[in-house]
Amino acid sequence: MDTTPSPVLAADGASAEASTARDAERQVIEACQRGEREAFDQLVVRYQRDIYRLCYRYLNNHEDANDVTQEVFLKAWRGIGRFRGKSAFSTWLYRIGVNACLNFRAARRPAAQDLTETLPDPGMGAAQRVEKAQRAAQVREAVSRLPEKQRATLILKIYHELTHQEVAQVLGSTVGTVKANLFHALGNLRKLVAAEEGVKP
Amino acid sequence: MTDVLESGGSPIEWAHVASCAACRSRLEEARAGRELASKAEVPEPPGLYWEALRRNVSRRIAEEPARRSRWGWLAPLAAATAVVVIIAVSLVGRPPAPSDSAALLPAWSALPPVEDDDGLAVVGGLADGELANWDEGRGLGAFVAGLSDEESEALVAALHVERPEGEL
Repeated sequence: MDTTPSPVLAADGASAEASTARDAERQVIEACQRGEREAFDQLVVRYQRDIYRLCYRYLNNHEDANDVTQEVFLKAWRGIGRFRGKSAFSTWLYRIGVNACLNFRAARRPAAQDLTETLPDPGMGAAQRVEKAQRAAQVREAVSRLPEKQRATLILKIYHELTHQEVAQVLGSTVGTVKANLFHALGNLRKLVAAEEGVKP
Repeated sequence: MTDVLESGGSPIEWAHVASCAACRSRLEEARAGRELASKAEVPEPPGLYWEALRRNVSRRIAEEPARRSRWGWLAPLAAATAVVVIIAVSLVGRPPAPSDSAALLPAWSALPPVEDDDGLAVVGGLADGELANWDEGRGLGAFVAGLSDEESEALVAALHVERPEGEL
């Protein structure tokens, strides 16, 4: 007898799981809104990687990303009483994150570039690792030179895999604008990297 | 174009891209940009970093001044509302302060107009023509003061008529 669940049932199961996770998160948020700091700790654990990476992509170095990530969570704690659940909590948090990064960059130009970090990958040789890390740094640098809206759209859509609708909510924009900005961002990224390499795009 | 890039777009859009060199070029550029973007990984911090980050956030939040809960702002609002209601009720429920000044009396009077005042007709009958000389400037007090004891008693009895409840 075949015990493999049908795709429909599997989809229902995934949906139910997501719904349960949302309910659990809502309860955690309500606890935070009552002033329970331990509950907020759970949100930090859940989202700290996402927010750190968002900040890193904006600020291009660990030290600044670390500082701003902490600021984002502090702002979220101070403002969580005003979170009404009209959007996903992650969307709300990303919005705080993008604003914090923009403010930080505005206050501290130019952004430092962190070319010394390497990506640990045991399957690669040392030369390959360095080359990959340099390439990543080169692309991150090009991303950081994109116009503000294009950069935000690209980071949220490509690296954080938000939907167009979610990106629009984070940036206070429309789906159409998000799509246009994404398309321009990708094209401009290609041009910036090509220009740095001295080749014709 | 983003729809074409991400999901192939509609047949109409795809047909246009296939026939338009400029659009095809832009699409290729965006594809190359997406490929590049996928290479920009963020360096993973050491494993202990995340615990340190969590602790730092937790410590800084603990140093924050105590925050009221979501509905905490209702308490001062409710207190202010209660004070306003108490003051309003005490002002409305209080009888008007007596005043000796005629200028402070309301413009209206509980007395009916002269033509509807039965009491004046009675007074007129009792006064035997005295009312013909009635002058509002003279005053009712002076007229009543001039009545004999019998006339006063008759006046009181005549004015003491029962009226239905609620009628003035």
